[in-house]
Amino acid sequence: MTNKIINRLISFNILLMVFFICFIISVRIGAVDIPLEEILKIIFLGESTDNQIILMDIRLPRVMIAAVLGAGLSAVGGVMQGIFKNPLVDSYTLGMSSGAALGAVISIVTGVGVFGYATTGAFAFLGAISTLFFVYYLSKTKNKVSINSLLLSGVAVSYFISSLISFIMLLFSNKVEHIVFWTMGSLSSATWQKFIFSSCLIVPGVLILNIFARELNIMSLGEESAHYIGVDVERLKYILLTVCSIIVGAVVSTGGTIGFLGLVAPHIVRLIWGADYRRLIPYSAILGASLLMLSDAIGRVIIQPAEIPVGVMTSIMGGPFFVFLLRKQKSKGA
Amino acid sequence: MEYEVRVEGLDFSYENNYILKNINLSIKEGSFVSIVGPNGSGKSTFLKNLSRYLKPQKGIVMLGNDDITKLSQKEISKRLSVVPQNILVEFDYKVKDIVLMGRHPYVKRLKGETPEDIKIAERAMKYTNIMEFSNRNFNELSGGEKQRVILAQALAQQPKVLLMDEPISHLDLQYQVEILDLVKKMTLEEGLTSIAVLHDLNMASAYSDYIVMLKGGEVFFKGEPAEVLTIENIARVFNTNVSISINPATGKTYIYPISTIPKKKRDFAVHIICGGGTGVKLIQELAAAGFTISTGVLNIGDSDWTISKEYELDVAEETPFMAISQEAYDKNLELALSANVLVLLPVYFSKANIRNLKMLIEDRLKDKTIYIVENGSFEQRDYTNGEALSIYNKLIDRPNVIQIKEEQLKEILIKADENHDK
Repeated sequence: MTNKIINRLISFNILLMVFFICFIISVRIGAVDIPLEEILKIIFLGESTDNQIILMDIRLPRVMIAAVLGAGLSAVGGVMQGIFKNPLVDSYTLGMSSGAALGAVISIVTGVGVFGYATTGAFAFLGAISTLFFVYYLSKTKNKVSINSLLLSGVAVSYFISSLISFIMLLFSNKVEHIVFWTMGSLSSATWQKFIFSSCLIVPGVLILNIFARELNIMSLGEESAHYIGVDVERLKYILLTVCSIIVGAVVSTGGTIGFLGLVAPHIVRLIWGADYRRLIPYSAILGASLLMLSDAIGRVIIQPAEIPVGVMTSIMGGPFFVFLLRKQKSKGA
Repeated sequence: MEYEVRVEGLDFSYENNYILKNINLSIKEGSFVSIVGPNGSGKSTFLKNLSRYLKPQKGIVMLGNDDITKLSQKEISKRLSVVPQNILVEFDYKVKDIVLMGRHPYVKRLKGETPEDIKIAERAMKYTNIMEFSNRNFNELSGGEKQRVILAQALAQQPKVLLMDEPISHLDLQYQVEILDLVKKMTLEEGLTSIAVLHDLNMASAYSDYIVMLKGGEVFFKGEPAEVLTIENIARVFNTNVSISINPATGKTYIYPISTIPKKKRDFAVHIICGGGTGVKLIQELAAAGFTISTGVLNIGDSDWTISKEYELDVAEETPFMAISQEAYDKNLELALSANVLVLLPVYFSKANIRNLKMLIEDRLKDKTIYIVENGSFEQRDYTNGEALSIYNKLIDRPNVIQIKEEQLKEILIKADENHDK
């Protein structure tokens, strides 16, 4: 018993170390390389050096936003995989992210966005939640939701929404640059204000998801069995999906659509630490934070002086992993 | 009388299709109840109504003294647990984690399982004999092991009522018995009330205190196994002809399906001297092979008499416990004379039935072939102080008498029939 606790402590600490290493790497590298020594001086001694403004006003908020968004997306991905009992589900494959992007884009082109950053967030949330329920409704036949039809409707609705967004771009060509930002997923416009806004929604959201970890474990037995063990399945789904939509809305309104991260991070956690949601949610959040910081850092430096948007980076790396999962599932099913 | 589960006037329909109609049922605490019926008769739907997974349009389900619609889901789960047909778990969980999930209705949010919960889960694992693989992944287990894990999970809920939807239909015989034994033990020792949908009528007969037979969403018959599992009821509900006997080891009704493939009819007639159950197997075998069979002299109510009647054979019969009368003797002789061959099975002889043996040495039968099946020594079956033995010795000295093993009989009779046709 004590052995196991020690093992867990060690593995959790390794995860934390990974997080800090990713954090430091992403704070250091970019268009301007800031040495570690200088970083420490600026942060802890308040020294004003050449790079102080870059670090404090641009780099640091960007890295912190990456961490928060990564944590939110990964926690949401893990939770949605549990609700729908399928490893291929996340906010991206079910169309929530594109829905949120559409919401954000609408708020921009209609000009409501000028009322403040939170309005865009609210639109993104509405887009995410309505897309999710629409996809869910589409795939429901005879009171049953088959996972195949869920994924198919998710993909179909995603495509539909993407073309809607393209259409909007055509109509409002003066705002194309702004809109592309949402569809590709980018952290380049990070500010402290955005960090505070997104973490105020995402951090409590992830904590709430964590409260339902035990129910999520039970959901792996299927909705019927969960019902028999005393889980109010419908209520649980509504609560969790609403919280997930809020998180996705916050993520997308801050950083646009960032794909595959929510799919990959929970799976890596499952492979290493097992499926128990009481560990899965916090661990996925930390791992997702690390991965998104790292992806963003790589995107910043790989084709300098240009930048690869972080959403493109995660899709390039996550896509192959998705195919791997799909093949693994196929061989299991056969 | 305390009823653990009571159902009154329950109707359930899916989009105007009635699945269940006016079901009334009272189930006593500590009983093992089986629900049987053909596919689509509403068995599983009925269970789902009992567990409130589905809500009936009409009628009430009472759990103890409470209307089930007035209880919260957690409240229900503390009193009633369900073992579904088969369970697919998407992600990898350890066996002990799955069992511990059964404690969910008792665990407070934000608190986690107490040592007491873990103890109860462990007890359930010991009970179902799964401790040895408690650390393995659920998805690596065999079907029988998985079913025991799910049973342990259900027991960890500490229910008063256990519902099972075909808990054994995917299992090997060994596991079928193991699972049902476990549940039966719980009903006897801990007063658990079990309600199981079972496909196998013989399993239902062997384990149930009470059987409910459904057809087309209605209760057709209910009662003790022997009352419900009759040839007529099974024919009406399952559209299948069966024959029934009593399992000698358990005293329970045992059901044999009868194939409906038209039998090859033989006009070769076999007359069998049997009694006390010696003839059951041979009669079924020979009837299946299409022989014309008659039996005699049998006391009414004897198990050989019962099966003869089920197969509608010609029987020379006698009032129960009475010695063979002249009338029955003559009937027996008449049947023997009209048969192609005679068979004597290892029957016990007393003063009451010794005339069956005497008949075989009648002069009028001296040309008939007589097959004698012997499974030990005749002396042990002789309760007539040697009178039967002396007749028996005369009989086996006759030229047309052949001693034979029972297993060979059918084959030899088929050959005899073929020779006879030429």
